[in-house]
Amino acid sequence: MAENVTRWLALMLLLAIVLAAVTVFSMGMGAVHIAPAAILRALFHHDALSTTDRVILLEVRLPRVLASGLVGAALAVAGLMFQGLFRNPMADPYVIGSSGGAIFGAAVGIFFFSQVSLLGFSATAMLAFAGSVVAMALVYWLAQSGEQTSVVTLLLAGFAVSAMLTNSTYFFELLDSSGGTSSRILISWLYGSVGTPPWTQLAISAAVISVAMIASFPLMRRLNTLALGDEYALQLGLRVEYTRVGIILIGSLLTAVAVALGGLISFAGLVVPHVARLLLGPDHVRLLPVTALGGAIFLMLADTLARSVIAPSEIPVGILMAFLGGPFFLYLLRKTKRGYAV
Amino acid sequence: MTTLLQFDAVNFEYGRRRLLQDASFELQAGGCTALIGPNGAGKTTLLKIAGGVLRYGSGNVVLQGEPMRQLARRQIARTIALVPQHLELPFSFTVEQVVEQGRTPYLGLLRGASREDRAAIDRAMDLADVSGLRHRVFNELSGGERQRVKIALGLAQEPKLLLLDEPTQNLDIGRQVELIDLLHFLRGEGITILAAIHDLHLVEGNFDRVLLLSPGETLCSGTPAEMLRPALLERAFNCPPDRHPVLVERTQMQSGRTA
Repeated sequence: MAENVTRWLALMLLLAIVLAAVTVFSMGMGAVHIAPAAILRALFHHDALSTTDRVILLEVRLPRVLASGLVGAALAVAGLMFQGLFRNPMADPYVIGSSGGAIFGAAVGIFFFSQVSLLGFSATAMLAFAGSVVAMALVYWLAQSGEQTSVVTLLLAGFAVSAMLTNSTYFFELLDSSGGTSSRILISWLYGSVGTPPWTQLAISAAVISVAMIASFPLMRRLNTLALGDEYALQLGLRVEYTRVGIILIGSLLTAVAVALGGLISFAGLVVPHVARLLLGPDHVRLLPVTALGGAIFLMLADTLARSVIAPSEIPVGILMAFLGGPFFLYLLRKTKRGYAV
Repeated sequence: MTTLLQFDAVNFEYGRRRLLQDASFELQAGGCTALIGPNGAGKTTLLKIAGGVLRYGSGNVVLQGEPMRQLARRQIARTIALVPQHLELPFSFTVEQVVEQGRTPYLGLLRGASREDRAAIDRAMDLADVSGLRHRVFNELSGGERQRVKIALGLAQEPKLLLLDEPTQNLDIGRQVELIDLLHFLRGEGITILAAIHDLHLVEGNFDRVLLLSPGETLCSGTPAEMLRPALLERAFNCPPDRHPVLVERTQMQSGRTA
């Protein structure tokens, strides 16, 4: 027991160090290469770099690297939560319709309410959350029968809702024949591209993700109980329906923030929790921080790769993730078919 | 003896099919009761209603003098543990992690397992003799080992009543005997037992009461000698008396007694 706790703490410390190193490494990579030592000097002494390098580092790369870290952490934790909720290692915000709902909501926001904001949150971000929650609520309602919810129906309903909403988003893009800013943003979301967000959006996203993760902590132990099945969990005194609603709300919020920052990025929520489970076992309480750190590292590296392989051009990270995550999804499918649970 | 659980004219319908019809019985504290009946008669349904998992139609279920409908789920979970027939886990939980879930009714929103909870988990694993398996992955265990782990999970709830759904199913005769010994031991620890049992050979000598559930008929109860009468079993299971060893044996025993 104590040995396991030590292993968990050591892994978190290691991941935190790796995250810091990857942040510095990612900031140096791109069309203009900047050495890690120079980056560290620049972070602590403002006059250590040329003005151009300082602008590239602090105004272009740092927000992008932080944004990709936030997107990765949010998607990985949402994936962990949905996998626990649906008792299925193949659930992922993209697979079950949450991302599709968020992008549809965001598309409505950017086409019709692009100038509206409330309490610092843009209408696009709020509609992305609303879209994600509505999509999940719709999927949940479709799958619900009596007091219980069938997991298989839930996954199938998620797939159908996801297909409808994502394709409806393409329809918005077709309507905007002028090829204006909204269309360009929408296309970059549909491809899945992190870009360089303004510092305000980054700060709000970081705050929302942190609050969501703290709020999800008490639900993690309940996900362990839910793994036994609905009836078993009910028999153990768990308020199954409340737990599910909590998971869906928080998971949708994390998905919406990730989509608002980086668009449709598939499979990040699938790969990271899987690897974390291989390292730590299936206890959701311990998996939460490790998955968050792992997700941040994973997407930072993926985004760095996406903007480095054909520099100065770049591949949208969503496309890269489809190349990396797609075969992994099929591998998991094959393994699950053999009856092996991770 | 005090009554721990009481069913009073409980009805339950699944779609148009009536599974329980005015089912009435009492479980006395410390007793060991077998629930028998043919497939599809509603044994699992009865156990789920007794465990507070399934909402029944009309009638009353009373737990320690209080109507079950008025009790909070956590309160029921601290008194009754239901050990289901099957448990499939989606991830590689260890035996210890599975048994830990038995403490769910005792944990608050933010509070994790305390020293008392850990002691209850260790004791449950000792009682069910699975302490040696604590680091093994549940999904990789044999049928007999899984059965013991499920019982340990139930015992971690520190229940007064243990409900078991077909605990001996798919076990070889050696593991069946081990399981029956475990039930005797738990009864000695003051735990009341109600177990759905498929193998009628295991009933006599191991259980002091029997509930017989047959489709379309009212549940009846009595001692094993009363309930294992060939005529009663023949009708309940719709099985000719000369076609199954249990009925043949019971018929021979009855004629021996008459002679």
